[in-house]
Amino acid sequence: MQIRVDGKIIEVAKDKTLLISLKNLGYKIPSICYQEGLKPEGRCRLCVVEIAGKLVTTCNTYPKEGMEITTNNDRVKVARKVNSELLMSEHVQTCSIENQDHELCQIIQDLGIRESRFNPKRKWKVDLGASVIRDNNKCINCGRCVQVCATIQATYAIDFAGRGHKERVAPYSDHELNDVACIKCGQCIAACPVGAISEREHIHEVIEVLKDSKKHVVVQTAPSIRAALGEEFSMPAGTLVTGKMVAALRKCGFDKIFDTNLGADLTIMEEASEFLNRVKKGGPFPMITTCCPAWIKYMEHFYHDLLPNMSSCKSPHEMLGILANTYYAKKINKPRDDIIVVSIMPCTAKKFEITRPELTSDVDFVLTTREVAKLIRHFCIDFKNLNDEKFDPALGISTGAGAIFGASGGVMEAALRTAYELGTGKELTKVEFDQLRGPKGIKEGTVNVNGIDIKFAAANGLANARELLKNKDKYHFIEIMACPGGCIAGGGQPLPVNEEIIAKRMEAIYEEDRLLPLRKSHENPIVKKIYKDYLDHPLSKKAEMILHTYYTPRSEF
Amino acid sequence: MQILKESSMMAFNKTVEKGPKWVIDTLKNKGLTGRGGAGFPTGTKWEMVFNEKETEKYVVCNADEGEPGTFKDRMIIEKNPKTLIEGIMIACHVITAKKAFIYLRGEYECLKENLQKTIDEVNTSDIEIQIFQGAGAYVCGDETAILRSIEGYRGHPSLKPPFPTVQGLFEKPTIINNVETLTNVPLALMMDDWDPKLKLFSLSGKVKHPGVYELKEGTPLSKLIKLGDGEPKAIHFGCFGGCLAYEQFKDIPLTPEEVLKADCFLGSCAVIVTDKKTSIIDVATNIAKFYEFESCGKCTPCREGTMRVLAILENIAMGQANSADIDTLLELAIVIRDTSFCGLGQTATNHVINAIKYFREEFEERLCKSE
Ligand code: SF4
Ligand code: SF4
Ligand code: SF4
Repeated sequence: MQIRVDGKIIEVAKDKTLLISLKNLGYKIPSICYQEGLKPEGRCRLCVVEIAGKLVTTCNTYPKEGMEITTNNDRVKVARKVNSELLMSEHVQTCSIENQDHELCQIIQDLGIRESRFNPKRKWKVDLGASVIRDNNKCINCGRCVQVCATIQATYAIDFAGRGHKERVAPYSDHELNDVACIKCGQCIAACPVGAISEREHIHEVIEVLKDSKKHVVVQTAPSIRAALGEEFSMPAGTLVTGKMVAALRKCGFDKIFDTNLGADLTIMEEASEFLNRVKKGGPFPMITTCCPAWIKYMEHFYHDLLPNMSSCKSPHEMLGILANTYYAKKINKPRDDIIVVSIMPCTAKKFEITRPELTSDVDFVLTTREVAKLIRHFCIDFKNLNDEKFDPALGISTGAGAIFGASGGVMEAALRTAYELGTGKELTKVEFDQLRGPKGIKEGTVNVNGIDIKFAAANGLANARELLKNKDKYHFIEIMACPGGCIAGGGQPLPVNEEIIAKRMEAIYEEDRLLPLRKSHENPIVKKIYKDYLDHPLSKKAEMILHTYYTPRSEF
Repeated sequence: MQILKESSMMAFNKTVEKGPKWVIDTLKNKGLTGRGGAGFPTGTKWEMVFNEKETEKYVVCNADEGEPGTFKDRMIIEKNPKTLIEGIMIACHVITAKKAFIYLRGEYECLKENLQKTIDEVNTSDIEIQIFQGAGAYVCGDETAILRSIEGYRGHPSLKPPFPTVQGLFEKPTIINNVETLTNVPLALMMDDWDPKLKLFSLSGKVKHPGVYELKEGTPLSKLIKLGDGEPKAIHFGCFGGCLAYEQFKDIPLTPEEVLKADCFLGSCAVIVTDKKTSIIDVATNIAKFYEFESCGKCTPCREGTMRVLAILENIAMGQANSADIDTLLELAIVIRDTSFCGLGQTATNHVINAIKYFREEFEERLCKSE
């Protein structure tokens, strides 16, 4: 379809909004409240252009034959300027306009605004959650967090309350986030254009323990960190920085650098065995994975009937955490109290997870990818120019199966690789399960193990999970990850994220798997050694005791 | 008054007898238009809903008379509820809706009991008519906000399209009309001499005889003022319709088109009189307070802007502003009008823009003297 933009005739798609088409064509149209893939809400009113004498928001307007658009006359400019000044007045002015992380601040710079004519007026109480912090003093009521929590996560933990200039984002009945059914996934953090929501930081606590010479501080890094951390140091998305990451952590002063991928391999050993056990016993099916603490909390709030379906496996970093405190502590002859475990995770939900009483403080601190980048900067380390180093071998050798945990579908793929071989005694010739890869929200497939067609599925994003669970009885084995795309797009990962960046991170993770000599968890020599020296065999009494856990039903509100 | 005539179910019975097409054609021929402000032909609106394939449909009567200075719907509900209910029943019959809602303004609690009694008395059909009480938000005068409110969500306006005629209440095709329109339906159907031009005007403010007047559309403003006996400096058409200088426009005919020429909106025909002793800045501040309170908070210009407009006006009123503040005020008011999401914001500053246009000297006199 042809329309006229600033006098020039251009070709646009009929079914795309003007905002999308014009942005794709390189027109600079500011917008804040619209987010890729979600329904435009038309809140911020920055994306206006003039059409037929009227100012019109482009985010919710579709082209019409013969439409004439002016994108940048004085009237449009004044409107954008005034509206961004108003937004600025909401976003406390202690935020330096130079803050390039904030989309709003970027827009304000682009519009050439130096200060707002309107002074901040309100003062809100900061909601200091255990893993997610909301500061309404910075919030510009764009609604992106609310939309994500409802549409992507089907959790509805936050909404708007109050009206007019008293309107604010708030959990149910102005409670704190800690006291409502929020699953701590942190997707609202990733959605916020002004940093009004953020993770509860634990950097300073970690710096303190690093100073304490009595403590033996070990750190472990999740599978998805190495595929994203580079972005924090202006490297292109999808750069694998495993070696530099290990080197940087060593420079920060951690005593041992371990790999959560090994924890993932262990999880697979236990989970695959648990699954084969259920196949033998005939259920309960589907068995559902439990690596994602946000999903676990979601189940505890909204899906009590699934309690028997959940795998009893702890998440990989918790498995590695308890092994560091027991198996490893014994090996190096240290009392458990002197071992401090820090997990570098893509995830805010894991900050909540480590406070669960049943997990007995095996992990002391969780830092997100963003926090660890800050930590590295705190120690003035020139990340980009570090030479690659290797994980400490004691708990630092892993397989490709552990590596792909970071992408949605990866846990299932890794589990199937092992379940197939342990179940059939035959070798799996093609280890890739293509049905489980790619950006889709729900993926499924079938594999034959000993004459039984095992139906499996993976969902990412809890709204998708809800969809999948409607037909849960069709499946034997289900993987659920809360974040869209899996942990590579976790709530603690570098910002901004978009579909393109997620795809690149995903590629990097599968690339790592492809390049590793060992690609199945049960081939991991350290895993074998741990079972031989310490745990006996998967699901042994000892393994049940330290690698498995239980869940507690919670209220829906 | 024409509006107080009764049809005593004759129109409804005839509707049952003659069918929906007859009603739609008659309403079109007689020229009934919506009295909520937009003036859309009622017959055409009903026909659109009639033509929708969906089996589940609804009728909503907008009795959320929230516009300051408007009280004509209240008078109808008090004095002629039977004809109103009959109008609702006819609408239901035309589109085969089984259920209708009367969205009654939260502050009209006192009318509820009597209205319910009338429903029980008049409605012998199997149509269910339910009174739904608003919680007192002005924005719920927006039809999409009413629908969201009945559905149990926050009374926020939603984007159109989809229009209520296609996807209204519970996403089903819906007729939504206001009280005056629906009351006129039976009258237009039954009375041979029914006059589409007769409209209700709510007159208030500094006049000796405030009240509801039924006048022909196009009557000069001065005639209404004479009936009410007042000496205006300025006229406000409700809060949203903006203001004009009386001397300059006293002969203006009261039609939407003519009033628009003075940059005002006739809307629901509320006329509020400000006399010569009252400062236009104080009136503006008062109205600004109303909007600051009523803004729903959804979009930037209205949520933040209405608060800033009030702050600047208060500053001017206290003699603490300088001339740059008047410029900021005007610029802000125009952006709020041009870029707000819904009708509330788009009209929230008409009164300020016009006040500066017609009474700029008054503003300048109040500026900080030390400048
Ligand atoms: S952390 Fe997740 S569940 Fe909690 S408010 Fe944010 S998006 Fe919603
Ligand atoms: S917290 Fe952030 S994402 Fe949520 S409404 Fe406020 S500014 Fe928008
Ligand atoms: S998907 Fe990964 S990052 Fe997201 S909440 Fe679950 S474990 Fe955390």
